[in-house]
Amino acid sequence: MGAPRIARTTDWYLLAITLVICSLGVLQIYSATHATKWEDAWWKQVVFVAGGLILMWVVTQIDYHALLGQVVPMYALSIALLLVTMVVGNKVFGSTRWIRVAGFTLQVSEFVKIVIILLVARFLSDLKAGQKLEWRDLAKLCALVGVPMLLVMKEPDLGTSLTYIPILVCGILMAGLRWKYLLIVAAALLICLPIGYHFLKPYQKDRLASFVDPERDPKGTGFQVIQSRIAVGNGGMWGRGVTQGSQTHLGFLPVPQTDFIFSSFAEEHGFVGVVVALVLYFLLIMQIVQNAQTAGDREGVYICMGIGALVLFHVLVNVGMVVGRMPVAGIPLPLMSSGGSNVLSMFLMLGLVNSVRLRRLVS
Amino acid sequence: MGRAIKMETPPLAPLSKSVQRVAILGLIFFVWALAIALRLLQLQVFQHDKYRHLADIQQEKLDHIQAPRGAIFDRNGNYLAISSEVPIVTVNPLRMPDKDTAAGLLASVLHLDKQEIFSDLVSAAARHRGYLIVDSDASQAEVDAIRKLNLDWVDIRKGTARSYPNGQLAAHVIGNVNAEGVGIAGVERKLDKDLRGTAGLARITTDVHRQGYDSEIEKAPVVGKNVTLTIDSRLQFIAEREIAEAVTREHAERGSIVAMNPYTGDVLALANYPTYDLNEKMKPGSRFYGREDYAVVAPFEPGSVFKVVTLTAALETTNIRPSTLIDCGNGSIRIANRIVHDSHPHGILSAADVLAKSSNVGAIRIGMAVGNANLLKYIHLFGFGHRTGIELPAEAPGLVRPLSRWGPTSIGSVPMGQEVSVTSVQLAEAGSVIANGGFLVRPRVVLSEQEPGGQKIERARPKPVRVLKPQTAFTMHQLMERVTLPGGTGPRAHVLGYTTAGKTGTAQIFDTAHHLYTHRYNASFLGFAPVANPAIVVVVTVSGTTAFGATASGPAFKNVMSEALRLMGVPRDLPDEIKEPPDNKVQPKGQEDDLAIADAANPLTPEELQRALGDPSDDGAIQVVRAQNVVAPQAPDFIGKTIKGVMEEATAKGVQVDMKGRGLARAQRPEPGAALLPGEHVRVLFMR
Repeated sequence: MGAPRIARTTDWYLLAITLVICSLGVLQIYSATHATKWEDAWWKQVVFVAGGLILMWVVTQIDYHALLGQVVPMYALSIALLLVTMVVGNKVFGSTRWIRVAGFTLQVSEFVKIVIILLVARFLSDLKAGQKLEWRDLAKLCALVGVPMLLVMKEPDLGTSLTYIPILVCGILMAGLRWKYLLIVAAALLICLPIGYHFLKPYQKDRLASFVDPERDPKGTGFQVIQSRIAVGNGGMWGRGVTQGSQTHLGFLPVPQTDFIFSSFAEEHGFVGVVVALVLYFLLIMQIVQNAQTAGDREGVYICMGIGALVLFHVLVNVGMVVGRMPVAGIPLPLMSSGGSNVLSMFLMLGLVNSVRLRRLVS
Repeated sequence: MGRAIKMETPPLAPLSKSVQRVAILGLIFFVWALAIALRLLQLQVFQHDKYRHLADIQQEKLDHIQAPRGAIFDRNGNYLAISSEVPIVTVNPLRMPDKDTAAGLLASVLHLDKQEIFSDLVSAAARHRGYLIVDSDASQAEVDAIRKLNLDWVDIRKGTARSYPNGQLAAHVIGNVNAEGVGIAGVERKLDKDLRGTAGLARITTDVHRQGYDSEIEKAPVVGKNVTLTIDSRLQFIAEREIAEAVTREHAERGSIVAMNPYTGDVLALANYPTYDLNEKMKPGSRFYGREDYAVVAPFEPGSVFKVVTLTAALETTNIRPSTLIDCGNGSIRIANRIVHDSHPHGILSAADVLAKSSNVGAIRIGMAVGNANLLKYIHLFGFGHRTGIELPAEAPGLVRPLSRWGPTSIGSVPMGQEVSVTSVQLAEAGSVIANGGFLVRPRVVLSEQEPGGQKIERARPKPVRVLKPQTAFTMHQLMERVTLPGGTGPRAHVLGYTTAGKTGTAQIFDTAHHLYTHRYNASFLGFAPVANPAIVVVVTVSGTTAFGATASGPAFKNVMSEALRLMGVPRDLPDEIKEPPDNKVQPKGQEDDLAIADAANPLTPEELQRALGDPSDDGAIQVVRAQNVVAPQAPDFIGKTIKGVMEEATAKGVQVDMKGRGLARAQRPEPGAALLPGEHVRVLFMR
């Protein structure tokens, strides 16, 4: 494997789209938190984006194969940190997701995503080329992904733990799964769903029930769903204008700069703004897929496709939630929602994509 | 996993295949994305109006801006009622976490009674009311203190407080408003619409906690009209003092005074006793004491005052003149099966003396000469049986029976004021007909109304209607003057320095519960002065007294009348040397007795008494206290009782008994349980 040859081959296109999306995010955070107690959130977001860019550059410089070689200690560290989170984590809104490191609160589960991506890429590329997945390998991979998933689920943070699934599914499909297996797994999942329901926390059950029928409890669990839908509808074709969204600014969207930033965005920028934002996400994902296609080896493909699947999942679940087509899962909108861990992990992943791109021309 | 990375990377060929497989995943994501895109299109483009509306209704509320209520003035421009803006502290009992703590907090900050607040909170919450006025006259310091607490279940609103600078002065005319600022009595109620003005509307943008965020005025409030009453505060004060004095002195239940200008209908004073302070808020469930405007809402049988109507009708429709001699049958007359007595037997009197000495027999004879139909016609011409239209709520029309309901003995009752019921205001109206020379003038308490910044505009009212020939009225002046002269029934009412005309009346109060006339009276006096050119009509009614007309009402009439004449600057028309007759000696006993002794065979039925009050629904009448049990009394079972026991029971049931013998009651007539006729006694025979 050769060292990086041409530093100029950085994916400027990808970077440009990323920065445009981030700018929209910062603008929307500024607008949504205008004259509230989170007024400085936009500035923090700018700092996070800047930090993210540095991290991205650093990761770009590292050969992803070197990272794949360190998957085992990284995986062990992830499990350890998740366990530490459970013990010493900060409890916010009844769930323990954050640990305090040097004045910052880190959401470990966000960074575990990267480890999962690397893990899946490493595991699947180690298999013999052209060979389809056997039961044994499948079970092993699922177990490896399952352990951190369960730990995150226990925090409880169902949303983030679910984001690990598209990485796994995408990898497995690419590795080549027997159709028979696929059907069996799908059937098993369908059977497991109702059983799994019983293991959900009461608040998660409420969220599901509110998704099915928000009017069941319009002042309680259905509140966010209904108010978000009203905000989106209130935006209309052209939107109400920056800092003019009445739903956003009269407190009908609680904490409008995080998971529900898209409601606020939709209210202030309307259908036109929404289409622009979604097109930007589409271009971003297509660019990631493009990088997967041009990758120099299977590891690179798995990494890029995993990241692509993850971003797509995030966008679809978040926007789906905002418009009332998905249950409230607590999944942020990548690059737009306010929050350091999410932004940093997104930039780390984009760094990985860039790293793969840089090394696409195998010597 | 522990193995080192294979350096010999496999060829890329299988990857294209795996990309195809990933396309399945891509398809799923595509469908998913499409669903979301369509949803966005639906929400933002097709259903935008619906969601815009939903957002608007939850973000806006319309709030009324109370218009300042108009002021009420007396005829001289003195304030009787004014409104001022005050903060009102309201709470939401449904939102407060702990009512006991909340009540304690409110009580300490607002300096109120904790127990009272607590019970109010509990009862409001029990009725699921999210709105309770805790304090409508909090000081600014108290309001600031409660604001500082920043409680989400407390709301401080702007309200208007109504205050009555003169307390109880003209209480029954002015009336008052309830906690919501709606008039509940008097002119405040009758002219509520005019006084209230039109509330404005504010559109308030509210946040998720329904707290105001921004507001704009949608419609500005229109200030209510100012109302000027015909009341003269000075005379009103005298009238209230006099009626209070008369009622207490005579141990009566209540009384009214109405003073009215006979030409314009302006009521210069309208006083009732008992009365109340307008600034005193009526607590829920508290007694209604003193709040009834008896002069307007409570009709009564007028008694001998009504002889004025009988005699007027006679002068107009028969050839009876003042000098015509009337046979007063030595104090009794038999009509059908009923004998009417005079309290003081008279032989033959002139028609003038029949009025001056108030002979019942004479009045009945005159009434018989007039005839039922003509008498009834004149009763109506004087305005009886109809509401006067005075601007006060719940006015009673009184009761005048139609001819078809006159019994054979009615002609023995109506001419002396029985079997009819009238209000004090109606008496003043009727007195004015004679005083002003024969015009029916409607009494009024509202002089003018004034739009904010506009002219004072008099309210439209019916034109005076001529109902009597002028000469009849002038003759009546002379006849009624004799009442207040020595030899008449009412010299006590004579006003020093002025010729005074009037008529006394003493009517037994009919007890509907026991279906008999009691020995409590409605003692009234209707009069005017000076006789030649009457300036004012005054009616005094003292109800539930044991004294007769002139004794109970005369002094009050005299004092109010002389004050009124002085205030109006009416020149004296009598030389000063004619001294006021001393109260105690001039009148021989019995001369004042103008009692309409009755045992009427056909007294007003409870239903008629009810009807006399008018239909309460037409302007939401104030409840008038009235006798409850309207069942005819029955003869109690006295058999086996001792004399003492029979007497006690008879007293308790209001039944009169004739007792004979000693020992225990052995027989009685009528039988126990039999319905008693009015005035019928139960005879009880005692034996050992």
